[in-house]
Amino acid sequence: MTPGLVVIGELRDGRPTEASREAAGVAYQLAAGAPVTGLLFGSPEDSLTSSWARDGISEVCFLPPPTDAARQAGALIPGVLSVLSERSAELVLLPSTTFGRELAGGLAARWDAGAATGVTAIHRGAAGWEVRRPVFGGRATETRSLSGPRAVVALRPRAFPAPEPRDLPGASTQRSMPEVGAVAKGPTLVGTEPVLTGEGPALGDATIVVAGGRGVRSADQFHLIEELAAALDAAVGASRAVTDAGWRPTSLQVGQTGRTVTPQLYIAVGISGAIQHIVGMIGSRVIVAINSDASAPIFKVADYGIVGDLFQIVPALLAEIRRVRGR
Amino acid sequence: MEIAVCVKPVPDPETRLRPGPDQRTLDVEGVKFVLAGYDESAVEQALLLRDQLPGSTVRALAYGPAPRTPEVLRSCLALGCDSVTHLEASAPVDDPMAVAAALAHVLASRPADLVLVGKQALDDEEGLVAPALGALLERPSFSSVTDLRWNPERSRFTFQRSTDTEIERWEAPVPLVIGLQQAWNDPRTAKLPNILKARRQPIDTVPAATIEAAVAGRNGRSLPLKFELPAPRAGARMIDYSTPAEAAERLVRLLREEAKVFP
Ligand SMILES: Cc1cc2nc3c(=O)[nH]c(=O)nc-3n(C[C@H](O)[C@H](O)[C@H](O)COP(=O)(O)OP(=O)(O)OC[C@H]3O[C@@H](n4cnc5c(N)ncnc54)[C@H](O)[C@@H]3O)c2cc1C
Repeated sequence: MTPGLVVIGELRDGRPTEASREAAGVAYQLAAGAPVTGLLFGSPEDSLTSSWARDGISEVCFLPPPTDAARQAGALIPGVLSVLSERSAELVLLPSTTFGRELAGGLAARWDAGAATGVTAIHRGAAGWEVRRPVFGGRATETRSLSGPRAVVALRPRAFPAPEPRDLPGASTQRSMPEVGAVAKGPTLVGTEPVLTGEGPALGDATIVVAGGRGVRSADQFHLIEELAAALDAAVGASRAVTDAGWRPTSLQVGQTGRTVTPQLYIAVGISGAIQHIVGMIGSRVIVAINSDASAPIFKVADYGIVGDLFQIVPALLAEIRRVRGR
Repeated sequence: MEIAVCVKPVPDPETRLRPGPDQRTLDVEGVKFVLAGYDESAVEQALLLRDQLPGSTVRALAYGPAPRTPEVLRSCLALGCDSVTHLEASAPVDDPMAVAAALAHVLASRPADLVLVGKQALDDEEGLVAPALGALLERPSFSSVTDLRWNPERSRFTFQRSTDTEIERWEAPVPLVIGLQQAWNDPRTAKLPNILKARRQPIDTVPAATIEAAVAGRNGRSLPLKFELPAPRAGARMIDYSTPAEAAERLVRLLREEAKVFP
């Protein structure tokens, strides 16, 4: 059997996430015709298998979905390792999300692999896999070589295109893997709250993020940011001034003590651009800033800037977006 | 409770970045290495927990070359850590999995109830050490953790973990490995008398040879090949307008036609 390429995916609403699809597309290209094994934690389902197959996965292995107590990487690793050894895997790709990064670190430790997270490009180099990744909050980029027989690479969501669906009916098979290993007794999940992003996509996963800061003035007026986000099918973000004031939950906070986001488009509204905020969004492809203060530091990192009162600019922008998008 | 906090010396956040002479890594000529970012929060959180739990001790560990590593450990002492351990290295340590293996080796010989790590380092942002430590020490490990508190009635920690879609609330007994996102407070700053006192406090060391022997069996490696700066952003293109509607129209057109990011 040729050394295998394995993609570990995440499911949301019964489908592989966009980031999991992107990982499948990357694996398909790297495999250059060799089969790619996909790994999901869930119950086998034909529709799942065939939808992931169109992204380039030739075989989907289903590991039992984690129980609440097993929602941590350590509990999942034994099952993953059994698939990797059966497939003589040499490279594992997975999304660089909270889940993916935890799994990457634990798995690489137990599998004796080189590892990298937040990766935005990968190819086979002279001495192993070469990966590129932003460092220092996106202020620099490094290239690393992952040498040794095995590597675990977590791919930054949105850094790779969604794969063009391939028409490969019936190309994929599915297998249900037995439960392996025991779950550590101890940690218990007491409860979950959804990250409040309204109707829009999850913050870490969004193509567009609209973020509001102290300039928005109040919890009530923050609705304006949410309306703008909704008009663009975007996720909502916030500066710490907003979450500290309790206008919105901390789960929306972008920055050093919040989330790091890397969307295609980041629109900062009434945000000054403190370094602790910048490090969380500088990796965005295009940055727009709307601020009444022409000397606000946010304009130093923005691609497009509008100096003006957000309470005038944002409603005008909403009207224009709705006009252009015809809704 | 014995609390271990693992920290990494990182370039001062104000450092002007540029590639070093070999183009492989950051130019560290004249760069000051400090405790920063999530590691600073991890130390703060360790100290807050110690104050809440009488009889606890906080030990800071760091793996790396002198002088940067002992300097950062001294700042941990100045902040109030009870003891510090320097895992010596003859050169900068660039491989997060090697860091995890070294720390796990030292922590295995003197286990802590709670191992705290910043969820990722300010420089390389890998976020691999906390989950790798969990796997190597065979303990539950959680990253992106906030609101870490000790519940004395239940003898357990409670904390939150943010995933992309959910905030999970957990309860867990020790031993435990935590990759911390945020402490309850912004990190404290060291007071001058404590900074002076820290200069005289001892630093435990584990010799480089011991560490190298412990991690030598590893096969997987990660080596930096190239360090690059992005083309500088030109600064924002400011949109001229006479009415808000005009500003909106121009911005939307630029996003559609020039940046091509309009949905
Ligand atoms: C350890 C530490 C960690 C931190 N972590 C984070 C973090 O993760 N994320 C984060 O965001 N911050 C973080 N901060 C805080 C950070 O330093 C800033 O204080 C914060 O980002 C400021 O938020 P802001 O830009 O919304 O508010 P401000 O700095 O007050 O800026 C408000 C802006 O709104 C503009 N404005 C006001 N009215 C209008 C109007 N009508 N129209 C248009 N513009 C208007 C103003 O010109 C101003 O630029 C951290 C700080 C520390 C010390």
